[in-house]
Amino acid sequence: MQRHVPARARGPGVNDTARGASQGGLDASVRVLAPESPGTGLSDFLATTKGLRRAPFSEERRAIVGALSARFLKDPWLRRDPASVAVGYWMRPAAVARLEAAFERKQADDPSSVRVPVGRVFHVAPSNVDTLFVYSWVLSYLCGNANVVRVSQDPTTAVETMLRAISAVAEEHPELAESNRFVTYEHQDDVTAAFSAWCTHRILWGGNETIAALRPLPLNPHASERVFGSKFSYAVVGLQRYQAANAAERERLAAAFFNDLFWFDQMACSSPHIVFWVGGEQGWPQAIEEFERRLQAEVSRREYVPSASNSVHRLVHAFGLAADAEVRVGLEHPGFIGVQVPDARTLDKRICGGGLIRHARIDDLGQLEAFVSDEDQTVTHFGFDRDELARLATRIGAGGVDRIVPIGEALSFQVIWDGFDLIDDLTRKVTVQVSRSDRSGD
Amino acid sequence: MPPYGLRQAEKDAMLSRSLSDLTRHHYRSCGAYRDIVDRVFGGLDDSGGPWRLEDVPFLPVSLFKTHELKSVADSQIIKVLTSSGTSGQGVSRIYLDAETAQVQSAVLVKIVQHFLGKDRLPMVIIDHEGVVRDRRSHSARGAGILGMAQFGRRPFYALREDMSLDDRGLLDYLAAAAGQKVLLFGFTYMVWSYFVQALERRGLSLDLKDGVLIHSGGWKKLQDLSVSPDAFRHRLQGLTGIGSVLNFYGMAEQVGGVYFENDLHYLHAPIYSDVLIRDPVTLAPVPDGEPGLIQVLSSLPTSYPGHSILTEDLGVIRGRDSADLSMKGRYFEMVGRVPESELRGCSDTFQPARGVPV
Repeated sequence: MQRHVPARARGPGVNDTARGASQGGLDASVRVLAPESPGTGLSDFLATTKGLRRAPFSEERRAIVGALSARFLKDPWLRRDPASVAVGYWMRPAAVARLEAAFERKQADDPSSVRVPVGRVFHVAPSNVDTLFVYSWVLSYLCGNANVVRVSQDPTTAVETMLRAISAVAEEHPELAESNRFVTYEHQDDVTAAFSAWCTHRILWGGNETIAALRPLPLNPHASERVFGSKFSYAVVGLQRYQAANAAERERLAAAFFNDLFWFDQMACSSPHIVFWVGGEQGWPQAIEEFERRLQAEVSRREYVPSASNSVHRLVHAFGLAADAEVRVGLEHPGFIGVQVPDARTLDKRICGGGLIRHARIDDLGQLEAFVSDEDQTVTHFGFDRDELARLATRIGAGGVDRIVPIGEALSFQVIWDGFDLIDDLTRKVTVQVSRSDRSGD
Repeated sequence: MPPYGLRQAEKDAMLSRSLSDLTRHHYRSCGAYRDIVDRVFGGLDDSGGPWRLEDVPFLPVSLFKTHELKSVADSQIIKVLTSSGTSGQGVSRIYLDAETAQVQSAVLVKIVQHFLGKDRLPMVIIDHEGVVRDRRSHSARGAGILGMAQFGRRPFYALREDMSLDDRGLLDYLAAAAGQKVLLFGFTYMVWSYFVQALERRGLSLDLKDGVLIHSGGWKKLQDLSVSPDAFRHRLQGLTGIGSVLNFYGMAEQVGGVYFENDLHYLHAPIYSDVLIRDPVTLAPVPDGEPGLIQVLSSLPTSYPGHSILTEDLGVIRGRDSADLSMKGRYFEMVGRVPESELRGCSDTFQPARGVPV
């Protein structure tokens, strides 16, 4: 089941709050979506959380995240939504224990400093990947911070359901309500400015327009910031390796690529838009035909039917590509449109989404170097060994690419995102130097 | 030939010949069209046609917004129609030479005369005159009004610039035209909002039993107000006793061979044009009675490759050659429009509210 992320008609309550924060105060401008009964108003929340002191990976917070994970995985709606299940699994106790182990290793690797929470984090979540706010918040919460999480004004069913679960857990665990607010508001500089003055770290999950609009708003002078701009992602497939693969392997690859392509309607930053076939020209069209045939079989097996809107959208995009450059547009598969681009130099980075794949051919991975730019994020791969990928990382990483992961893993959330370690962002290192005379063993 | 005088089988044979000819003409004359036919449809087959209607290549209607599509030299173009009628950003640009403009106009005359007769009638236009005052800008609304105005005489614009109903002027005009058949024309949403509702608000009723209202422009906004075509007609008849209400379906991308409402209140294809219904996802033609994307075919346009267009409107074929109708050929019902795609990238955390164009 793939989830389109629809923009709903805005409820009357949302627009009613479109007054200046200064006139009605924050509480009049901002809608708190979770916890449902927060106990205190937003202004009080911002004031009291300045005194909040929590340790990273506290037992209490790990338990709360575990309880939330269990709720997500039990929820009848979320259970049927693969992207929501992925969130639930990512935050279950065993996975949190691995995060904690990674944190402990960092701590152990550097005895000259002690890691403490960065303090108060303001998250602005994207609406194209509706579940991302959970990843951002859980990491920050585990690191011991207080949080304000701004989600889209048109929450999807997944977001609404997750927020309800958060509210339910907050009923049982007052700590959650004390230190966190999930909010929404119409774009208003004074509201964003209030949260920015409060926080000690701000995360803007993109994209470029949001960053351009929000970044100029001043932060607390002691705060840090991380922004994630709009990104472009693609896949590389070793042609000879694909030709040599057996039916089962090709089937697994199709299933893996299906996830990369259709989750979040191909609109996540890490959703692939181009498949580069790497190798000679021999058998290139046949390999694409086979790849697409198996992908369509996967589409049929999962009973995925694109929406009429998405189908029309990608059709118009494909016709535009055909009018603009030498390509071959394939309309034979109902699940997606495949566009063959014989000359890789004609490729651009326009994003269509909704199931449109461009296929291009290059002789070797090195040729990607000419294509790479700052906005590139994830390269998914099939058919290359560790050495080839390490060489690729060296060559294209500096050009912009942040992740090189197997096909099927494009949308897996990782603590290192766009090349930045989020645990490093969400904690602060307090340097501890003992005086020379106190050093034991000297 | 009368505009509804061919049975579907005869029409199919005639249209498949003319659309095949047009396909070859545009393939020769429009580079972008040729590229698309080659790159999306695998080129034209060697048989040279005539191809079945469903095998004639089509262009998505939105492509006229993003690409300049014309099959004549710039020096031949006498008029550029623009339309923002379909969803999404941008406006369509439709390039007309003298021949296409003349043929479209002549065909529109034949179709409208089928319903109104040859005499030019006193005419009430339910809009304000400002829409047509600037002759250089041919908005679809202005072009539609000018296109229809040729069927009336001494047109009276019933709305003021602020869209209020000039009821005094209207009553005077109707009094002067007493005893004659009167033509009223307007866009569906305007007729509803600024005529029907204005009359209701003021408690006015008119005597238009010899009148005929022709309206067009889609039901989307009225659907949003939960006003069905039946309710629209009944409310209007209740207020004015109007003898006849005729909806038609047409678009700037295919002026001329428009689809007028028949006695069953379905939209009827004349001999110059036709519709096919395709599954929005597989694009395969669907059986009669099943909804899908409306593809419009027209034998008229030679100056731009708009003879076969896949719209974003949803329709259902309701029948053909019915014994209950004097009009032969295929007819359909428009049932909605594919919602605008909401695919959004990372760049929309704070999305400005979209305005609603009138």
